[in-house]
Amino acid sequence: MRRIVAMAVLVLAVAAQAEDTGGRKKRTPPQEFGRVVMSNQAKRAKVASVVFDHWLHRAKYTCRVCHVDIGFAMKTGGTDVRAADNAAGMYCGACHNDRTKADGGGKVFPACRAGSSAEAPGCARCHSGGSDARREHDFASFTKDLPKGRFGNGVDWEVAEQKRLIKPVDYVDGISVKRAAMPVQKDFALSGKLPGMPDIIFSHAKHTVWSGCEGCHPEIFTGVKRGTTKYTMVEIFEGKYCGACHVAVAFPTLDCQRCHSKPVQ
Amino acid sequence: MAAALGSTTLRRALRAALAGLALAAAAIEPGAGAGPRVQRARAEDAWFVEFESICAQTQDAMSLTTDELRALVSRCDRLKPQIEGLDPSRRKVYVKRLQQCRDLYQFVLDTRGQG
Repeated sequence: MRRIVAMAVLVLAVAAQAEDTGGRKKRTPPQEFGRVVMSNQAKRAKVASVVFDHWLHRAKYTCRVCHVDIGFAMKTGGTDVRAADNAAGMYCGACHNDRTKADGGGKVFPACRAGSSAEAPGCARCHSGGSDARREHDFASFTKDLPKGRFGNGVDWEVAEQKRLIKPVDYVDGISVKRAAMPVQKDFALSGKLPGMPDIIFSHAKHTVWSGCEGCHPEIFTGVKRGTTKYTMVEIFEGKYCGACHVAVAFPTLDCQRCHSKPVQ
Repeated sequence: MAAALGSTTLRRALRAALAGLALAAAAIEPGAGAGPRVQRARAEDAWFVEFESICAQTQDAMSLTTDELRALVSRCDRLKPQIEGLDPSRRKVYVKRLQQCRDLYQFVLDTRGQG
């Protein structure tokens, strides 16, 4: 009973949060969940913004490849990507370089070069903000055989990886650093604050499939002494701590029971 | 267990020695036959070998000794000026990447200090 009450309180808190952010919040459609619009440089260069959907890339690469090895920031606007960088083999150009082989054969299309017209076919594939450019990969067809999730992209990416339905690449030649496999750290529990709220079981093993230590520490989780950082759901919903990934890309925090999973004694 | 630990320490020492040799080789002026392209390639290799050697140990950060962590932080600090001398594209990517590695090692050190 206490568990039901706690869950109801959490749902109300989520609803209140939505209310605070401008009334009823419309849920992002599955195909748009994880979408990032990169416009900081595009505006200056007077080209359409880059519309990047995480779902395709996360099915093929781990978070670590892009956010550690290639150096994409975790925060919106935190990466200063220019066409010259791509041409030098950095950022998008690390793979979009006309050399990298795609998993279905052929080559990964190259990033557009400085001075190219943004309407050129190669450029418009990514610089598609404000247009209805047709994508090479269709979300519905791509995800139809993947295990279903309740929120976000509607895909349970964790199970998809466990069942090897997707095989995210963790190493890009010439970019990634060769590392030994990470020793598996033990899961640990974080106490829920509300009476009856199931504790959070944090699994290092599940997270390290996708990311490495430096992906989370210390940029996202800065506390150096266990128990000193007081996490609140409000901060998490604002994109801090777990929310850095679990608001916009990884399964969203609406899916309470995936983290608050320890049975109440 | 002791053998495994010894082997890991030996591998790390070898990696560090190789990186040191590569850096030293880059510092030596090439002979008259070597053109500018070769010089640049050697310099690039040197910083990258050292960068890889440093950042390859992030997964082991929790099992490194305090002295090893301090040494890695110092190596990051020594390497940073070389990376800051690269072209703008590589500079901004690799300065960030090096900083991520340094921050992690410092974080583990701080964790131990506070524990």
